[in-house]
Formats: sequence, structure tokens, C-alpha cells
Amino acid sequence: MGIGAALLLHYSLATPYLLDFWGDGGLIPRELALKDVSDPWIQSVFFYFMAPWQWVAFHAVFLLCCAAFMLGWRTSWIKWVVLVGQISYDYGNPILSYGVDKILACLLFILCLAPIGHALSLDRVRVVRAAKLKNLETVLPPYSSQWAGACTRLMQIQMAVLFFFSAISKLRGDDWWSGDAVWIVFTTGEHYNRFILDVLAPNYWLVNVATYSTILIELAFPFLIWQRQTRPYLLAAAIFLHLQFALLMGLFYFSFVMIMGQMSFVRPEWLARLGSAWKQRMGEMEMIYDGKCGFCVRSMASFLAFDGLGQIKIRDFRANPSPVVSDAQMEKALYLTLPDGRALPGFEAYRYVVPRVPGLWWQVPFFYVPVLSRLFGHPIYNWIAANRSRLSSKRTASA
Amino acid sequence: MIRTQWRDRLIYLAMSGFVAWHTLAMVLAPAPDNSVIAQSLRGLMQPYLTLFRLDNLWDFFAPTVGKGSQFRYIIEDADGLRHTFVPAEDLSWFHPSYFWFRSLYYAIVDDPELYADSTAALLCRKHASLHPVAVTLLRYDEGDFSPEDHLSGKHPMDPEFVTVNTLKRVECTDS
Repeated sequence: MGIGAALLLHYSLATPYLLDFWGDGGLIPRELALKDVSDPWIQSVFFYFMAPWQWVAFHAVFLLCCAAFMLGWRTSWIKWVVLVGQISYDYGNPILSYGVDKILACLLFILCLAPIGHALSLDRVRVVRAAKLKNLETVLPPYSSQWAGACTRLMQIQMAVLFFFSAISKLRGDDWWSGDAVWIVFTTGEHYNRFILDVLAPNYWLVNVATYSTILIELAFPFLIWQRQTRPYLLAAAIFLHLQFALLMGLFYFSFVMIMGQMSFVRPEWLARLGSAWKQRMGEMEMIYDGKCGFCVRSMASFLAFDGLGQIKIRDFRANPSPVVSDAQMEKALYLTLPDGRALPGFEAYRYVVPRVPGLWWQVPFFYVPVLSRLFGHPIYNWIAANRSRLSSKRTASA
Repeated sequence: MIRTQWRDRLIYLAMSGFVAWHTLAMVLAPAPDNSVIAQSLRGLMQPYLTLFRLDNLWDFFAPTVGKGSQFRYIIEDADGLRHTFVPAEDLSWFHPSYFWFRSLYYAIVDDPELYADSTAALLCRKHASLHPVAVTLLRYDEGDFSPEDHLSGKHPMDPEFVTVNTLKRVECTDS
């Protein structure tokens, strides 16, 4: 998801420069950009394009695929298009390629091999929704496979190798041994930062500390990241290091992608613990719906498919009447009951749930626009609730 | 039943084989290839490493950070006036074009023989409103800049810290 978002933003911003940088007659003519490219294994779809519209069409398709990749939609084949696109841009003009493009290609390749799309994705939502359409009470177990584990391990090894070689290549340089490297970085035109130089110049010992700490973290990472006790510290240190790169050197894209790679070291049990803590903090929520209404069941299936943590309990008032909400009330709207005894009807029920269920956060803008959300939300919900029998029968008839 | 067992074992074996292969590729890509073993393994893996863009050294800011160099150019107009441009000053950290243009400028200063003519032609067109006669491409090599220099209010790109090299002067043919 993170890598998809980074790619989408990065290449969206590349759109105005597409033909200038990757086209045939742009700032760097193709024959110049590829003068040293003789290896037949270096391939880019751009090598086969002849007319500008082909670049534009490919770019548009690539951006759509990046968006789909970010959302986890049809990931089984979308991921390959994204990989081909990334490598094509990279090899299409090797002069423009820098560190992050290399890291992205390596991580994307592993993601292509991995069975991604089985969690935190629209693909997963589709699977859960299909299961819930058969029975709303169905709870699918989290996806796990040996191959997924192997691919996670490959990604971890990739990050460890990257850190290791980054550290030992620095150890071959005088700037790093002398402890001056960080000062030199901030005095170059590319990363000049007046604010940080103001801090470092009168406190030069900070330069030494920062230089040696960088090497220390990079060197320790590939060895200590594997141990249960040391992993949290190394992970925190590596993330801190890359946040510094982002904020002080302007390497936002690089740092973000590196942090995404480091996320492969996050243990599933940490996420599970975080999920449980969130669930406990948000409290229990029970949605009461009309089980006889096909439209309501389908809507519930779609809604619950985003509830990855299983925070929402459900009750069909036809089969299992609620002690809190009367049947007469239920005929008018769906209700949400809370442990403190409150019962929220219709639009207010959804509005309460959306910010409390992480999978539904994307709906927050629709439910929380001041004044407008309630102004339009209530009548829309009430109209749907009043016409739910008609909506159900239409769907049944069309099916 | 037995067929399924064997199929599962074969799949597991293939998966393990691939993990081993890819791990070897990840380690081999940045490793120095001085030894005979490394050279022969690289020969075997090179197509795989190249095709999937896995052949990387991971040598960020290493072995030395190195002094930078900045690309500038001077447009000479029909009246003989010289207009100096510092294209890097128009770039922003917050946009990825910062790195693309930087890479382009590095390519020009590192290999002027190759890029000077096409770049000059482009700059002549870009500044057509100045009625350019010629464009001179320059490389500003950055020198040592100490904390004392910074504390005394100086800047790494001040004349005393840079060496200016003329890369090429190219006539603007269209003007």
C-alpha cells in the first residue's frame, strides 16, 4: 500500500516531464541516454515506442496500475505491470535513476513473487464480502502461507544486505572515518541546509556523533535486527535515521520507501497486539439490521468487509430482537448500540463507526464534512431506509 | 494421497530453491567480484540481476561523500550582454523533478562532450526572448568549507570556495 502510494505520487508528478525526460526527443535524446547500454537484458518498454502518444498511454495505464496497487485491487497481475513500469522508467533513462529507484525495483520484484493482496487490500475486502454475502456471521481467518513467510524473509534479507553494504562501503572512505561526512553532506549544493549548519558549526562534535551513528546503525542493523530483543531498537533507529534523511536532506521519497522496506521486520504479533489495543479502546459496537431486507444484508456485507479487526458485532432483529431497540424503531432504520446503552440510528450509526474502524477511515471525509455531511447524509439515509424493500426487490428481479 | 504429498514436497523444494537463489543474487549484486568464484557466479546470475534491475552496489554517499559540482550557464545576447543562470536555484526538494534535473546537470558537467551541444541548443530555444547569440556552459566545483567559514557568514558557493570551469561555448544557430 505504502509503496503503491509512493509510486503513484512520484510518477504523477512526473507527468509534465514525461516526454522531456523519457521521450525520444526530450532533454536527453534517447541515443545519448542509452549510449552505454549494450546489454540485451536491459529492457524498457520505452525502447519500443515510436510516437509520443505511446508514452502518454503507457504513463496513464501505469498510473492507474499504481493506484490499483496502492488499493490492493487485482494485485495478482497489477503488481507485474507496476514492476515492468518501474524498471522501464529506470532503464528508459538511466541518467535519472538514483538510489530509491534501485530499492523500489528490488522490493517490487519480491512483492510480485509474494501473495500480496490477501490482507489490507480491496482484494481481501472482495473475498470477505463474498463470504459475508453467504452468511454475515462468517469470519475468515487471516491469510497465512509458507510462501508469504518466505517472501517476507526475502524482503528482510534485502534490507539487511542493503544496510550491510551501505555501511561497509562507507568504511572505505576517509570522510566517514574522520567523522566529517555529515558536515560535508550539508555543505554540498545538493543538500545545503543553512539551519542544520547553524546548529552543527558551533557544535562540531554533533557532526562526529551523527557520522559515526549512521555507520553504527547501518552496521548493526543486518546483525541485530534478527534477534527478538534487539529488533525494536534497531527498527526504531533505522526509521529515525531515514526520517532525518527526509527532513534534513530532502530525501522524502527515498526515506519513505526505505521505511516501507523496514516494515517487513514488524512482527505480526506486534500488529495483533496493536489491533487488540485499538479494539479495546474503541469499545464494543453492535449493529442491528433487518435480516429480511436483501439490500440491507448486502450493504452490511460490504460494510463489514472493511472491518478487518472484527470490531463490529451484528444482530438480525428479525431472528434475534434487541433488548435495547424496539422492533418498531428497527423498521425505520439500522441501529448501533454501545456498551453505555446508547442507540444511534441510521446515518449517525455509520458516522460513529467510520472513524473507529481503521478499514473505514477512507469514508471519514464523507461523514465528517462540517454541516454538509449531516445535511445530505440524513435525507439520503432516510430515503434508502424507507425504500429498502423496493431496492431489495429490484436487485432480486435483476438477478 | 501419495501424489499430493510428493507435489507438496516438490513445491516446498522449488520454493526453497528460489529463496536460496534470490538470496544469493541479493548478496552477490553488491559484492566485489575479485575472486574467481564471485566472477563465475556473477556470470551465471548477470541476466537475472540485470533484467529485474537487481544489480546495485548500495553505496550511498560512499566511499566518500565527495564535493559537489554545480551547473550554470551564461547566455550572450545580441547586444553583447551576458546573463548568468543557476538552474539548480529553481528546483525544490519537495518535487521529484529536483533529482531528475540534478541528475541531468550532473550528466552535463560530467560528460560535456556528449551533452553540451544538445543542452546548449535547448537553452538557446528556452531563452529565445533574449535573442541569444551563444551559450557558455559552466561547471562550478565546490571546495572545502569549514565550520569557521560558516560561522563567519560565508556560503559554500561563494567565489573563494568554488573553481569555475568552462565546459563549452556553443553558438546559437537559430537566433
